[in-house]
Amino acid sequence: MEGNFGAPPQHRNHLKSPVGNQAGHRRRQQAVQIGKERREAVVRAKRLRRGDAVPNGDQSEAPDSHMDEEATARAAEASSRALEENTLKAVKALREYVGPGIILGKDMALKKIEALRNVRSLLSCNAMPPLNVAVEAGVVPLLVQCLAFGSPEEQILEAAWCLTNIASGEQDLTKAVLPALPYLISHLGDKSAATVAEQCAWAIGNVAGEGEEMRDILLAQGAMRPLARLMSSPYPSLARTASWAMSNLIKGPSPRAASDLMKIEGMADTLVGLMMKGDEELMVELAWVMVYLTSMADAHSGILLSVGLLPILINKLGTSDQTALLTPFLRCIGNIVAGDNSKTDAVLNAGGDISGGIIGALTRCLDMGHRTMQKEAAWAVSNIAAGSMLHKRMVFQGGAIPSLLHLLATAAFDVRKEAAYALGNVCVAPKAKAKEVDPIVEHLTVLVDRGCIPGFTALVKSPDMEAARLGLQFLELVMRGLPGGQGPKVVEKEDGIAAMETLQFHENDELRLMANTLIDKYFGEDYGLEEEYGSEVVDMIRGSDESSEYPPWRRGVVNG
Amino acid sequence: MQYSEETLRTLADCFKQTLAPDPEPRKLAELFLKQSSEQPGYGIAILRLLSELSVDDQVRQSAAVNFKNHIKYRWPVSDPEGSTLASIQDSEKEQIKALIVGLMLNTPPKIQSQLSEALAIISNHDFPAKWPLLLPELVANLRSSTDLHVINGILSTANSIFKKFRYQYKSNELFTDLKYCLDAFAAPLLEVFQKTGQLIASTQDNTVMLKTLFERQRLCCRIFYSLNFQELPEFFENHMAEWMGEFHKYLTYNNPSLSEAEADKESVVDQLKAAICENINLYMEKNEEEFQGYLSQFAQDVWGLLMTVSLSPSHDRLATTAIKFLTTVSKSVHHVLFADGATLQQICERIVIPNVKLRDEDEELFEMNHVEYIRRDMEGSDLDTRRRMACELVKGLSTHYREQVTGMFSAYIQEMLREYAVNPAQNWKGKDCAVYLVVSLAPRQAGGGSVGSDLVNIEQFFTTQIVPELQSADVNSLPLLKADALKFMTTFRSQVPKAVALQLLIRFLVAESNVVHSYAASCIEKMLAMKDGKQPRYSGAELDPYLEQLLTNLFAALKLPESQENAYVMKCIMRVVSMADLRQFTSLCLAELAKILGEVCKNPTNPSFNHYLFEAVAALVRKACGRDSEQVATFETLLFPVVQIVLEQDVTEFAPYVFQILAQLIESRRPPLPSVYIGMFPPLLTPTLWQRSANVPALVRLLQAYLQNAPQEFNQASQLNSVLGVFEKLVASRSTDHQGFYILNTVIESLSYHTFAQYVPQIWGILFTRLQRERTVKFIKSLIIFMSLFAVKHGHALLTDSINAVQPNLVFMILEQIWVPNLTYITGDTETKLCAVAATKLLTESPALLAEGAGPLWGRLLNSVMTLLVRPEEERVEQETDIPDLDEVVGYTTTYAQLYNAGKKEEDPVEEVKDAKEYLAVSLAKVSTQYPGKFGALIQQSLDPANQAGLMQIFRAKSSGLMGLHSDWFNSSHLLWVSNFVLHLNKVELAHQNRVDSSEIDFLTPPNSATVVDYPASTH
Repeated sequence: MEGNFGAPPQHRNHLKSPVGNQAGHRRRQQAVQIGKERREAVVRAKRLRRGDAVPNGDQSEAPDSHMDEEATARAAEASSRALEENTLKAVKALREYVGPGIILGKDMALKKIEALRNVRSLLSCNAMPPLNVAVEAGVVPLLVQCLAFGSPEEQILEAAWCLTNIASGEQDLTKAVLPALPYLISHLGDKSAATVAEQCAWAIGNVAGEGEEMRDILLAQGAMRPLARLMSSPYPSLARTASWAMSNLIKGPSPRAASDLMKIEGMADTLVGLMMKGDEELMVELAWVMVYLTSMADAHSGILLSVGLLPILINKLGTSDQTALLTPFLRCIGNIVAGDNSKTDAVLNAGGDISGGIIGALTRCLDMGHRTMQKEAAWAVSNIAAGSMLHKRMVFQGGAIPSLLHLLATAAFDVRKEAAYALGNVCVAPKAKAKEVDPIVEHLTVLVDRGCIPGFTALVKSPDMEAARLGLQFLELVMRGLPGGQGPKVVEKEDGIAAMETLQFHENDELRLMANTLIDKYFGEDYGLEEEYGSEVVDMIRGSDESSEYPPWRRGVVNG
Repeated sequence: MQYSEETLRTLADCFKQTLAPDPEPRKLAELFLKQSSEQPGYGIAILRLLSELSVDDQVRQSAAVNFKNHIKYRWPVSDPEGSTLASIQDSEKEQIKALIVGLMLNTPPKIQSQLSEALAIISNHDFPAKWPLLLPELVANLRSSTDLHVINGILSTANSIFKKFRYQYKSNELFTDLKYCLDAFAAPLLEVFQKTGQLIASTQDNTVMLKTLFERQRLCCRIFYSLNFQELPEFFENHMAEWMGEFHKYLTYNNPSLSEAEADKESVVDQLKAAICENINLYMEKNEEEFQGYLSQFAQDVWGLLMTVSLSPSHDRLATTAIKFLTTVSKSVHHVLFADGATLQQICERIVIPNVKLRDEDEELFEMNHVEYIRRDMEGSDLDTRRRMACELVKGLSTHYREQVTGMFSAYIQEMLREYAVNPAQNWKGKDCAVYLVVSLAPRQAGGGSVGSDLVNIEQFFTTQIVPELQSADVNSLPLLKADALKFMTTFRSQVPKAVALQLLIRFLVAESNVVHSYAASCIEKMLAMKDGKQPRYSGAELDPYLEQLLTNLFAALKLPESQENAYVMKCIMRVVSMADLRQFTSLCLAELAKILGEVCKNPTNPSFNHYLFEAVAALVRKACGRDSEQVATFETLLFPVVQIVLEQDVTEFAPYVFQILAQLIESRRPPLPSVYIGMFPPLLTPTLWQRSANVPALVRLLQAYLQNAPQEFNQASQLNSVLGVFEKLVASRSTDHQGFYILNTVIESLSYHTFAQYVPQIWGILFTRLQRERTVKFIKSLIIFMSLFAVKHGHALLTDSINAVQPNLVFMILEQIWVPNLTYITGDTETKLCAVAATKLLTESPALLAEGAGPLWGRLLNSVMTLLVRPEEERVEQETDIPDLDEVVGYTTTYAQLYNAGKKEEDPVEEVKDAKEYLAVSLAKVSTQYPGKFGALIQQSLDPANQAGLMQIFRAKSSGLMGLHSDWFNSSHLLWVSNFVLHLNKVELAHQNRVDSSEIDFLTPPNSATVVDYPASTH
């Protein structure tokens, strides 16, 4: 679930059936990612560095409108074949100048760079660079040699650029870059020119974007510290690239890298200080670093809050319209409020300065009509709403409810689900030791009056099991908690029984059992038995269900 | 087992013999195989056998089935069904895993499918963590093989192992597995799907091959469904265009040569289309934004599909999945696709109405298989029928276009009814459709039935359409419409005027159609169960005028063909018997029921019919014998023959019921118990009876009835010894120990001490042995309750002395380690009260606990009692910590069904105490006068602050309640308050106590002490 990346929402358990504390469990659970990472285009996990002017023409240009489809395809094929051939030639040419025992004169050195530049421009042509072809032709060892210490700056730059683009490819290609890593990392150091350092950081960022295995290798080879230092570089472009690479390096699922970063002295201050400088582009990259830091451990959030992260986050949330910026900011806030209640307190307090408070700012995001924003914001609200009674009241009174209800009724599925979590959490009292959660009658009544039930019955009918469970739990809450025994009637009126019936034969044991139990309990055969036979007899009849913890010791006893 | 040729030949022979028609050699062979399967290497030997091409196909097939079962029962380390079969050894498991894929792919289809199932079972346990080679092996074969069957075999296996992604919750483990499967399989799956697509395109005439290819595509689609179920994987998002392009191609594919001749056989093309509809529906539901670019194309495809799909059953699945997709769209943000009035109208007229209309198949079902018809029509198992899906579509469209849709359907309904009126005989299906729509589109409701409908005026519809139907002279004419009318009445029963309802219904109980008389019975039953507020809508007296006809028809219905064991009718009988004032009809009912009992116990087949039958009997016993104990004899005369049959012929299904009825009869008798019961007693202790778990609760209940109603029998005979034998057996097992305690509790409650005194040491022995052996929460709680009951019934002295007789000072150990720490977990009002009272007695009466040196224990016991009394149950009690005992649930057993008409209320063993808190207060006050100065410090040291406050509140409440003392009472010095309290208590409640000097009492800490919380200054 990319939207909840790294959150530890023990809060969510409020609406769960009592299955014990799964807090830590859920945190890791979301670390494994199936779906696409929905970061904005600028912050892709891997980035290709495009060329300036590509000699091979630009296939992505709209084809001549007179050409028919077949001709277009033919042309494309021909040009890609040409590109491959050129690449092979270029690699071969480069080999002439690179290799053991080859000693070059000055002219030759220039030609070597020329050859290298040619390879680079082929590997950064706009459409689909022939990365595979180059790698298969053995370009990587050549490039590694070009990175050797003492090589001319331009040579290192060109080689790193080639490696950057190779690393931006699929897994195999990224892995092909492995032999170059020690050089790339060492060129991050003080002695390198900013352009060189940036290109190396970029390549490293691409490698880190591949996955945990690659990240571990980079960490073992010492990429963390030099990269961290580059984040504060005075060259804006270098700082940005380093920050982006860092965000890739620490994104887990293992929390180790993030902890390592936080262990660097003064890092929290540095990061927040950089954020305050106000360069929005840098801020976006840094915000992703913050996202991973806050998601990995509550302790990190604590430190970042203590050095003044919140005012920056909240200020932007209340004013910015940049989705690229708002996405990581929202996720940061979501991560922070998923921590313990004191963090939520801090967020709510810090929001006091802006009009409408943090809830207002989040509501603004809910209303933006942008799916990622809505989902992130609803997720953050759901975690606030899972806090203390005060937190719930603030969400309820802070103006988020109409937006959430609107989303529940109309939004895309994943947004609806998040909105439902938020609304559900607003309606349950903080969990005491007792087995069942208690409804907050006032909130529940208002939500039901405003017609939230169809949204939840729709979830019950959805093929998503978490959503179905959430829907069921909410219906249960309504049936149990609405005053005057109105709950079952309202659920009935909104066609809730039919919705629950769709789960009666579900393959998931818990859902099936829950649905059947609820139908039996509120609408089933036993309905009305109580009046007929008295509660004790009814208990006796029902006593056999597994939920009863212990059979009444005198069951079956007779009094004549 | 050796893998010698000879072994294989023997095994092959055995499998051949298991197919023999002659039972003798068959049984021998089965036995041999069973024994062989115990030996290591058996699984491998069977696999070897399966790979022998020389062995006859039939033999290999039966060996394959055997192998699958072998895997099923012996692969798990602990069998879920609790069998004691030994698991296959790890080394053999590895061998099997190495062999099975290759073998599966190279065997003929029938063997392949068995092996594929076996493989799926193994993968459930081992995949992927313990079987890292499986997926690479499958993928490698998938990519390299060109054999049609091999590829389909691989896909079918993959399909079964990936299904788990469809019904497990998200978890780190599941996602790790899913990611692993995606990384390995997503790309090859698309490859094979596309490649097969090309093959299909180039294969025009070879229908056999085409069928295989379409089956393959279907498998790919089902795997797509599993892999996409949790969320949209990156790979699938990146390749959505390819997938959707292929889907579109197939949804519009037509090839008459692939259709099936049989009317209810689905063609391979339709199967694939249905699978695709499921997939796009999943995307529409969960990933609508990523999917939206493809939506309008698919909406068009599906639309086109539904326009051409026929009403034949072979198209049912395709039609329902296609309608489901449109329903999802209609509810989504893209509902505007249907916004156009003409589109809406087309959907309603060309998709909804045709699918709701009665088909010949439905008519046939109505006549030939009423059970199935009712299940679908009335009981909600129509989830996947066309009718139900079409109604779901209407509901979906109504989400955004309620007015238009309602308007249209009202009009359709009126039109259909008008046509019916013109020519009922010809147009009756239109009325069926109309009633169906009204009933189905009303929100599904329970309890009082539906309250309304937007489509029609219910009251008017009832009067003009339903009543005439039910008043028709011939109850057998147009039975489907009669059934519809009855269903309508059931659905809207809360609106039906009370006066006409029964009158209309009763005569349909004897209609010829099974559906009709079942619906009539069900409707009456539900009407009678209805409540207005807390009052039943129909009182017993209101049934009087109809009673004779009602009972006559109900019993007559049970004589109609195929309704001899009609559960709806029997349930209705049960309801009538338990509600009505039967009087002169009692014996008629009893005679009828006894006769039916006599019939069914020869061969019990229909469990729910039998259950209601026994409920009806129990209701009769409850009502008739409760009022008039003379009746018992009549009942005995009629029921004993049945009891006899059940016991003598060992009718296992009925035994638990019969025991409950017997208990009920015993309870209805006045002592002494007739000798016939006494004579029946010894056989009841037969061990075989007690071995069936379904019998145990009923037998315990019966034993309790004996103990309570014929205690004198136990006072003399050696019967008690046998009863305690039963107790010993039950208490030894953790699944039945509470049942053992039921018996023990009744013994000490009902019998005098001297009767069982000689057994007491033995009882303690049994209990303490079990305690040492296995301490479960349930056992400890039962033990505390038992000891409490012992203390209140026979005195704390006998309790402590008899325990100490086992071992000196044992009672202290029990108190220290068992009683005090677990007392707070007791649940249930009666139990809590009993335990509190018993503990109070110990605290205030037991010299041992009041002795010097027992102080700390005394304090802790009081603390536990306070927790028990003051804190709500859900705070005290944690969730059950006992682990269920799997070993004891062996195989399939019939479950015990409690008859609630035979149930009885529990009684309170400490009735004399009205309120346990008050009792504690009074007893404490009393004892504190005997031991001045002793308890104050103890209480302060031992009680939690909350419990101290609680104790204080109890005193305050009791004092004001008891004595109505003046308000400034609280404001005066605390010491004075306590002394006053005690003084008053002594005067009022305990007049015989000594006079107390108030200065001696330092009972509780003064209110200004920090340990006492919350001392409100409330006054009256």
